Amino acid sequence: MNSTKIFIVIPAYNEETVIQDVIGEVQKEGYENIIVVDDGSKDQTFQKVKEIKGITALKHKINRGKGAATKTGIEASKLLGADVIVTMDGDGQHDPKDIKNLIHPIINKDFDVVLGTRLKNPEGMPFYKRAHNWIANIITWYFFGLWVTDSQSGFRAYSRKAAKLINTKADRYDYDSEVIREIYLYKLKFEEIAIKVRYTEYSKSKLEKQNLANGFKTLYKMVWKLIH
Amino acid sequence: MNFHLYQILIIIISAYIIFQGVKNYVSGKSGQTIYKLVIRLIVWGGMAFVAIFPNAISLLAKTLGIIDNMNAVILTGFLLIFLMIFKLLSAIERLEQDISALTRKDSLKEIQKK
Repeated sequence: MNSTKIFIVIPAYNEETVIQDVIGEVQKEGYENIIVVDDGSKDQTFQKVKEIKGITALKHKINRGKGAATKTGIEASKLLGADVIVTMDGDGQHDPKDIKNLIHPIINKDFDVVLGTRLKNPEGMPFYKRAHNWIANIITWYFFGLWVTDSQSGFRAYSRKAAKLINTKADRYDYDSEVIREIYLYKLKFEEIAIKVRYTEYSKSKLEKQNLANGFKTLYKMVWKLIH
Repeated sequence: MNFHLYQILIIIISAYIIFQGVKNYVSGKSGQTIYKLVIRLIVWGGMAFVAIFPNAISLLAKTLGIIDNMNAVILTGFLLIFLMIFKLLSAIERLEQDISALTRKDSLKEIQKK
């Protein structure tokens, strides 16, 4: 289906050193429709994105979190007529070569959502990150009723139908779990695909910021949304 | 069955919050799920239950050693603080979502013009 409009959404926060390389890699894989959402960065991320021709650069005037930025990118994709929307992180940890594997089930097998999972092939993944993911998976399953092997992965693909149905409220890292809840609620057809994650010094330094305190914050947000 | 004022207040507040939850769920208000409703029923239903049948927790009260009038004072105090925190967190959550929605609207302005 050559006429399928595929949009790549990249939320970015303070990624001035890598964002151009990330976009360049995506373009090298042949994807033209790229939306970068600068989530109120304090550095030159937005200017760096604007320097690249043919990119849709959006800016949150204030930092609202990865979930909020991803949602903005998905909304923009819908407005621009996307058939398939892929979301990926802006720190370079996701390999754009995996995009074709993520979109394949949507285009050829009528799936609604494809979740990239790091835990099917966790090579190079730090132990603490694996443990963190398992705990997050158990919590997501307990609260939202769906078992997935990587509830915190930001590398995902959505059909237009799924993008229209999924309605998240989470702004921060609880966004990824909330998407799982929406898949369960709307009984969307989903598949998990193994993805490669590149843990560079840069992406590791970013991951460290998602520390234990942030993990508890995410858990609190999930519980709060249930009782509120 | 004689009810004290604090019991009546708890029952009224619980009934109101449960009613709101059921109404939101039945009307399909965005973000309202069956899980939220169930948790709301357990938390507030539990409070109402304790208010109607205070003897049901007499064992717990005995264990804690506060089986006198202080019970009511402490329970009411906790309930008020819990209510205030609940409302405050709700307001913060709503404001956070409004800020995100506004920020999003602003960033999508150019695309929407096209």
